[in-house]
Amino acid sequence: MGKDKIYNRRDFLESGMRLSLALAVGAVGGMAIGKATTEDWVWQIDPFACTQCGRCADECVLSPSAVKCVHAFDLCGYCDLCGGYLIPGANEISTGAENQLCPTSAIQRKYIEDPYFEYIINEELCIGCAKCVKGCASFGNGSLHLQIKHSLCKNCNECSIARLCPSDAIKRVPASSPYLVKGGFVEPAGS
Amino acid sequence: MNRGQKILLFSRLAVGSAIACTFISLLLLLNYLQANRAGPLENAAMEALLERLEAEPDNEALKVEIRNLDLLARKAFFNTQWQLNTGAILLLIGALIFGISLNALNNLTASIEMPEEEEPDVSLAGKLGQRGVLTGGATLALLALAASFFTQSHLEQFEAISSPPQAAPSEEIEIIEVAYAGTEGSSPQAAPVVEADSSLAEAAPTEIEPAANEEAALPKTASYPEAAVVRQQYGSFRGPFGNGIAYQKNIPTEWNGPEGQNILWKTTLTGKGNNSPVIWGNQLFLAAASKSSQLVFCYNRHSGALLWQKAVENIPGSPPAPPKTTDDTGLSAPTLATDGLQVYAIFATGDVAGLDMSGETVWSRNLGVPDNHYGHSSSLQTWQGKLFVQYDTNKGCRVMALDCSSGKTLWETQRNVKISWASPILAPIGGKYQLILSADPLVCGYDTDSGAERWCVDCMMGEVGPSPAFGNGLVFAANEYARLVAIRPEGGGTIAWETNEYLPEVASPAVADGLLYIATSYGVLACYDATKGDKLWEFESDSGFYASPVIADGRVYALNREGVMHILRHDKEMQLVNEPPLGERTVATPAFANSRIYLRGEKHLYCIGN
Amino acid sequence: MKKRVRAILAFLLSIAEGAGYAQQRFPRPEFESGYVQPAPELPAPRWLPLEYLDILVLVVVLLLASRFIFRKRSRKAILWLSVFSLGYFGFYRLGCICAIGSIQNVALALFHPEYAIPLTALAFFVIPLAFTLFHGRTFCAVACPLGAMQDLLVARPVKLSPGVSKALGFIPYLYLGMAVLFAATGTEFIICRYDPYVGIFRLDAGFIMVLLGIGFLLLGLFVARPYCRFLCPYGVILGWMSRFSKRHLSITPAECIDCRLCAKSCPFDAIEPPAPAQPLESRESNVRRLLVYAGLLPILVVAGGYLGSRAHVLLSNAHPDVRLAELLATHPEVKDDPDNLDVQAFLSSGKTTEELAEAARAKRNEFYRGAMILGAFMGLVAGMMLINQVIFRRREDYEPNKSNCFSCGRCMDYCPVGKEPWTA
Repeated sequence: MGKDKIYNRRDFLESGMRLSLALAVGAVGGMAIGKATTEDWVWQIDPFACTQCGRCADECVLSPSAVKCVHAFDLCGYCDLCGGYLIPGANEISTGAENQLCPTSAIQRKYIEDPYFEYIINEELCIGCAKCVKGCASFGNGSLHLQIKHSLCKNCNECSIARLCPSDAIKRVPASSPYLVKGGFVEPAGS
Repeated sequence: MNRGQKILLFSRLAVGSAIACTFISLLLLLNYLQANRAGPLENAAMEALLERLEAEPDNEALKVEIRNLDLLARKAFFNTQWQLNTGAILLLIGALIFGISLNALNNLTASIEMPEEEEPDVSLAGKLGQRGVLTGGATLALLALAASFFTQSHLEQFEAISSPPQAAPSEEIEIIEVAYAGTEGSSPQAAPVVEADSSLAEAAPTEIEPAANEEAALPKTASYPEAAVVRQQYGSFRGPFGNGIAYQKNIPTEWNGPEGQNILWKTTLTGKGNNSPVIWGNQLFLAAASKSSQLVFCYNRHSGALLWQKAVENIPGSPPAPPKTTDDTGLSAPTLATDGLQVYAIFATGDVAGLDMSGETVWSRNLGVPDNHYGHSSSLQTWQGKLFVQYDTNKGCRVMALDCSSGKTLWETQRNVKISWASPILAPIGGKYQLILSADPLVCGYDTDSGAERWCVDCMMGEVGPSPAFGNGLVFAANEYARLVAIRPEGGGTIAWETNEYLPEVASPAVADGLLYIATSYGVLACYDATKGDKLWEFESDSGFYASPVIADGRVYALNREGVMHILRHDKEMQLVNEPPLGERTVATPAFANSRIYLRGEKHLYCIGN
Repeated sequence: MKKRVRAILAFLLSIAEGAGYAQQRFPRPEFESGYVQPAPELPAPRWLPLEYLDILVLVVVLLLASRFIFRKRSRKAILWLSVFSLGYFGFYRLGCICAIGSIQNVALALFHPEYAIPLTALAFFVIPLAFTLFHGRTFCAVACPLGAMQDLLVARPVKLSPGVSKALGFIPYLYLGMAVLFAATGTEFIICRYDPYVGIFRLDAGFIMVLLGIGFLLLGLFVARPYCRFLCPYGVILGWMSRFSKRHLSITPAECIDCRLCAKSCPFDAIEPPAPAQPLESRESNVRRLLVYAGLLPILVVAGGYLGSRAHVLLSNAHPDVRLAELLATHPEVKDDPDNLDVQAFLSSGKTTEELAEAARAKRNEFYRGAMILGAFMGLVAGMMLINQVIFRRREDYEPNKSNCFSCGRCMDYCPVGKEPWTA
């Protein structure tokens, strides 16, 4: 009898605690679900806020970084003397390594018609150092800009670049509009 | 394979994989350290060679050398990358083999041993446990104590260290005085680091990001910008608080519209509107209206790209056809206002709307169609969540404050005046921002919180177009065929001085550092001593002024109707700096950003910069 | 603003209606060669339904785990299920999304109205807790990739003295408290940043992560599941749930024969010996101690709160705004340092130092309250741990400690009761 009593009391206490724990989890979950979204978040760079500090190349958990340079062709002036391709005060306007700004030679310069050249980023080689972006923003139209490529990004719970971005240019955004692209490409990217 | 052989196999596997793992780890570590010490991005040898090339630009051999080194460096970089990746995979496989063989070994060698005879001592475990808890707790407490002794907050001593000119307390009267010394020579000091390529660098501090986060960041949590932030922007007609002063630096003085010199971009405008552009952060706003539509436009001010346009429509109470207006006023004469959270628009139909920064309508309403024989033209002004509307019409005159987040009327004050085309300004009087309005016959100041009239002076007459201005503790109001008066707002308002030599018809006065500028519609720009009313100098233009003069970067910018900007030193002596032409007729007041001027011509919007 | 007086002819030209076009510094050329402009490649993020598939996988794995533990009583099945989870949640999903990290998402959502928590993250927080409340910490055994990885690499586990494990037992509580504090203040996600295993899943990591990963793997050879026992913040909450779970893994299917094999088999020291009765004198001293500790509890809470509030300056320095403001206050000369990216970006942002200082002070105040609560919580934890040590629980048999047992099933495997007689 005595033993039964003890066990009954213990059982009773345990079920009480269980119930209150369940209520606690329910309360926390309920409060959070009020602010929940069925969508997922992804990380996005705002190219208008970006100050091209170069941390995207170093601080990503991936090496090379998931941040790559993207070319908004409809903003590009197709210049021969490209501030994003050539180092300032370049020796001559050519594809020689001594004239290239990109440390990994990831920008391909292609002749189209006199005097216009097309610049294409080779994503395999790009390390997201933003040197060309800075050059293009300073001397050109700003058509070269950084983007987080979602085919590469692991979508960390907290982006380690965002934590260190000096201009707070990296934010969580709904996964349905993952890119804020310069120029007129916003529509197709969002679909 | 018997048990002994299995044990041998797995123990060899375990040892082998452990050695392999250690070896790979060491290699990876070395590789990692080496890669970090000398990446291809920072290569001292390369930099030295490039420097040499600068000295000897025609040295072909040197170029070849650079190309070879570059190729090597890139090869090394991508090799290192490959090695790190491959090494990681090998390490993982090694660890996997190690784990599996250890597990197998454990299973194989496990035997049923006789446990120790000794009964486990429950009470001893409890005692040790208590000691452990006490030790752990004490360690934590010590750590917290150490933290409190070795760290101290320096945030309180902040004020003493930082005192840039724009950082003075925001609610004092003196603040309105611009920190120019009157001469250009001293201005670079006043503008510190910001100058270095500020075109893209300056981001609006309180700007909400477009579209993406809108649901997250809307007005509930919005905090309206402080005076210092408002002053960094150009968010309303005639700049911050509508006072005709731009606080931006590096303002261009040279351009040529027809030749394209220093025109960074130019874009064709859609629709008609005589309102002036306003700027917040990277966004530039303006409005246009026709018989069938009322539109607000938002441009990226760096590229000139149209970010969005939004129709203000389907508002209950809005008239089916817009009221009659004259061409030189039009349906969209009032300038927009923005506080970085929303942008506000009003049209000649009496439709007023608040849009968020991505162009979504937050609220809209009709204030009653204004009876105005030229067209409603009073611009909007906003401060701390209130939108101020001067609504002086032929049928009743009133001023009201609307709630920026909902558009609801917070207060409304009837005014005993006649119709006016002037716009409200905000001025810090008695330690608090007051709303100042000019109309026939009264110039009055209102409390922004309650709408109560604080002071009033009977001094104007006619069809008042120019807005008031505030500086040196005085309120200035003027109108053609009336007079120019300086009003001391304290004690109900008294007239300090008045004159009537040069009087503006459309353009509003601008005042800073004791100098008052008046721009007339027949082309005279006159400078007065703001405290005494003495005329200091006058300057004559070939064409009249409709756009208001703006004081910026130690200069006064006066744009005439032919599109010629007269730039004069903000000084007691008249000194013309430059007269750059735009090549297009202009009535809108220019907007300023660091290193940029934005001009709205009849058909185009221009961005000017060096 | 504009008023007509004379010049009606001011606007002769009708303004063209039509789309505006932008002109840049260098206008886009008109190509004659028929050049077609390429579109930038912008690959889409992971397909959303796949995120929901992760939840489904989690639920299925947990359901299977309950079946393996209660019905089949098979260590082998549990082991293979955990290998699957390691593959799926670890090497395929790269350790993200994870129940441990979701604590921070929940905290951020509760304290930051602008952050809407994704349903997937909330599900990963709640579902394991719910399962644990009914069936014990099965999540740790089979679904957690971190646990699975550590469980596979247990080589020669050593028994830790109860004193050492209790002293180290503070760390998970502190880690949990700090993670919630940092997430709630919007500072950072420390659980994710210092996760020692995620670098292994990705086969790519920063230097600190690599060191942590290797260190924990080596430690794990001798101290079984070091992260789970002495660091995991989610384990704290799971422990609370499991302590009062409705059902729990039982070592033996029938009568215990007191062979003590299970106690030896458990690498986590989670099996407690029988405690049938207590000698009278030790019972009296225990009761006295219980009273002392119970009286001490409020004192510990208050003292903890005080000590916590004293540490708030240090803790708040983790926040970037506070750090930057402190730097500018103590070293104003950094304003002239062109290499200090944070300072330069701040200076060009148009914010005043006053605004920054104001923001930093507000943040520090938040930390003051937060750190006080954290300290009080740690005081409560210390008090409850002490009380737990002197409360006597009568046990007839060898039983798993319900809070600490990971339900890995080793003991079931070792228990000879009901098995075939020795056949090897």
